[in-house]
Amino acid sequence: MKKAFPLVLLLLSIQATAQNRIASLNLCTDQLLLNWIAPERIASITWLSATDQYRKAPLPEHIYLNRGRAEELLRLDPDLVLVGQYGAQRAAGRLRQLGFEVADIPDAYSLEQLSEQLQALENVLGENAPLRKQRQLLQKLLAQPPAPETASALILSANNITYGSGMLEHQLLERAGFENLAAADGAEQLRRVSLEEVIAAQPDLLVLYGGDKDFALAHLAERHPVLQRYFDSDRVFKLPSELSFCPALVAAEVLQQLTEKRKSLAAKQ
Amino acid sequence: MQQNNNLALGFLAALLLPALLAALMSGPVSIDLGAALAQGWHSEAGDAVILWQLRLPRALLAILVGAALGMGGAAMQGMLRNPLAEPALLGVSSGAALAAILLLYYGVSWGLARENGWLLPLLAIGGAFCAVGCVWLLAGRGASASRLVLAGVAINAFLSALMALALNYAPSMFAMQEIVFWLLGSLANRGWDQLLLALPFIAAGALLLFCARNYLRALSLGEASAASLGFRGRRYPLLVLGGIAASVGAAVAVAGTIGFVGLVVPHLVRPLVRQDPGRLLWASALAGALLLLLADILVVNFVGAQELRIGAVTAFIGAPFFFWLIVSGRRGQAL
Repeated sequence: MKKAFPLVLLLLSIQATAQNRIASLNLCTDQLLLNWIAPERIASITWLSATDQYRKAPLPEHIYLNRGRAEELLRLDPDLVLVGQYGAQRAAGRLRQLGFEVADIPDAYSLEQLSEQLQALENVLGENAPLRKQRQLLQKLLAQPPAPETASALILSANNITYGSGMLEHQLLERAGFENLAAADGAEQLRRVSLEEVIAAQPDLLVLYGGDKDFALAHLAERHPVLQRYFDSDRVFKLPSELSFCPALVAAEVLQQLTEKRKSLAAKQ
Repeated sequence: MQQNNNLALGFLAALLLPALLAALMSGPVSIDLGAALAQGWHSEAGDAVILWQLRLPRALLAILVGAALGMGGAAMQGMLRNPLAEPALLGVSSGAALAAILLLYYGVSWGLARENGWLLPLLAIGGAFCAVGCVWLLAGRGASASRLVLAGVAINAFLSALMALALNYAPSMFAMQEIVFWLLGSLANRGWDQLLLALPFIAAGALLLFCARNYLRALSLGEASAASLGFRGRRYPLLVLGGIAASVGAAVAVAGTIGFVGLVVPHLVRPLVRQDPGRLLWASALAGALLLLLADILVVNFVGAQELRIGAVTAFIGAPFFFWLIVSGRRGQAL
C-alpha cells in the first residue's frame, strides 16, 4: 500500500498537468469552469458566456470565445473538451475523430441528475475542492427527508409560465416545505398561468424567475400592480437565472434560501 | 333610411355594454361577478381583485384602443380618399412602435419609464409624427394622395425592418419573440397604468380629429373643391395627421400594432352614416371599440399554450365582413 501511494500521487499529478488546457462547448460547463477552476487552466468557453446576460465578472483575456466549431478548438489544442448532452455534437464528434479527449457532461433536470452531473465533472477534472463541496452539499440535502409542506407557492416566470411536478424548481419548492400549487393543479411540465389564476390560487409565496434586468414584455405580468401586495408583504422569492441554465451552481443555495423563506413566512403567521 | 341607420348605430352603442359584461365574465378563472362588484374597488378578495384590477382595465383598454384605431382609420381613409388606407399605411403605427421599442429596450429601465409615465406615449407619438413627416417629405410638396400612399408604403416597410433590427440586437432574452407582439399586438397583463397612460393622448387625438371633421367632409368633394370652400393650406392636413398620430401612437405604445381594425371598421359603418366622413369618425370609433372588445373576449377564452395574438383575431373577425362588402360591391352597391 505504501508503495502504491507515490504511484497514485504521480498519476494524479499527471492527470492535473495533462488537463491544464480545458475548453468548453456548453454554456453550463463554461459557468462551472469559470466558477470552480483556476482561470489559467481554461483555454476556451462559448461566446454566450461573454454576453452581459451570463457574464458575472470580466473574463480573463487569454480565454478564447468559441462558437461551437471544431476548427476553433483545433488550433488551441486543448487537453480536455467538455461538451453538453445537446448542442455542438458535430464539433464534439469531429474533435473525437481527431484524437482529442472529449467528455460528455450530462444535463441535469432534477436534484438526482445534478449529483450525477457533478460526479461526471469530478471524474474528468480530477480533485477539485469547490466541486466536491457542492456535490457533497447536494447529496446531504438529498439525504434529508423533505420538510413537511406548511406553505403554498406558485412560480411565475417570463411569458406567464409556471413549473409543474416534473421540474427541478418544483423539487426545490417541495424539499423546502412548500406545496407547489401548479403541480397540485395537475401541471407536470411547463404551463401557462394567467395573472387571474395567480390571484385566485392565493399562494403564500410568489416565486419569480430572475433575468429581468432588461425590459421585456415577457416580464410584464410580474410587474403588474395587482402583484404589488406580494412585494409589500415580502412574500416574493426570486429564483436566480442560473437555476435555468446551470442549476448545479446554485441549486443547493436556492434550496437553503427557500427553506429560510418558509421559516420566516411561518414566523410571520 | 336615416332613422334606420341611426337605429343601427344606436344598436352598436348598446351592444358595447353587453360586450363589456361578457368581457368581465370571461377569463380562465370563474368569478362571482355580482359579489365582486359589490365588494368594490378596494377589496382585497380574490374575485374583486380579478374584476377591478385585471378584467376591467383590460376591457376598457380594448375599447379605448379599438376606438383610436377605428377613428384613425376613418380619418386616414377620408384624407387620402383611398379605401385601403389605414394608420399603418403612412407608417404611423410602425413609427410609434419603433419609438416605443427604442425607449423600452435601449433607453431607460422599465422602472424609470413607469415613473415618467408620459415618456412612453409621448415618444411613441413623436415616432408616429416622425414617420408621417418622412412620408410627407418623401412624397414632396403638393403630392397627390396616391404618391403619399406610395411613400407611406416605402417608409412603413423601412420602419418595420428597423423594428426587427432593433429587437434583434436588444439586450433582452425575449427580443425575437417580442417582435410578434409589436406586429400583432396584445392586451395581456395590461392594467390601469397603461389605460391612464394612453387615455389623455387618445382623447387629445379625438379632439383634433373633431376639429378637422368639416375638412374631411369638404375633401370628399375633391381637393380643389375643399380649397374653394376655404380648407386650403397645410393647417388642416396637419390637424388630421396630428390627431391620428396622437391617438394611434398612444394606442400602439400600450398595445402594439393591432392591424385590420383601422382598415375594415370604416368600411363596415360607412353605409350607416351615409358616407359622411365627419360622422364616420365617431361611428368608426364605436365599431372599432366593439370589434376589439369582441376580439379580446375571443383571445381570453381561447385555450392554448400561448395567448392568441389579438391582431390575428381582429383579422379573423373583420375579414369575413370585408369579403361580404367586396362581394356586395361587385353586385353594384357602393363600397
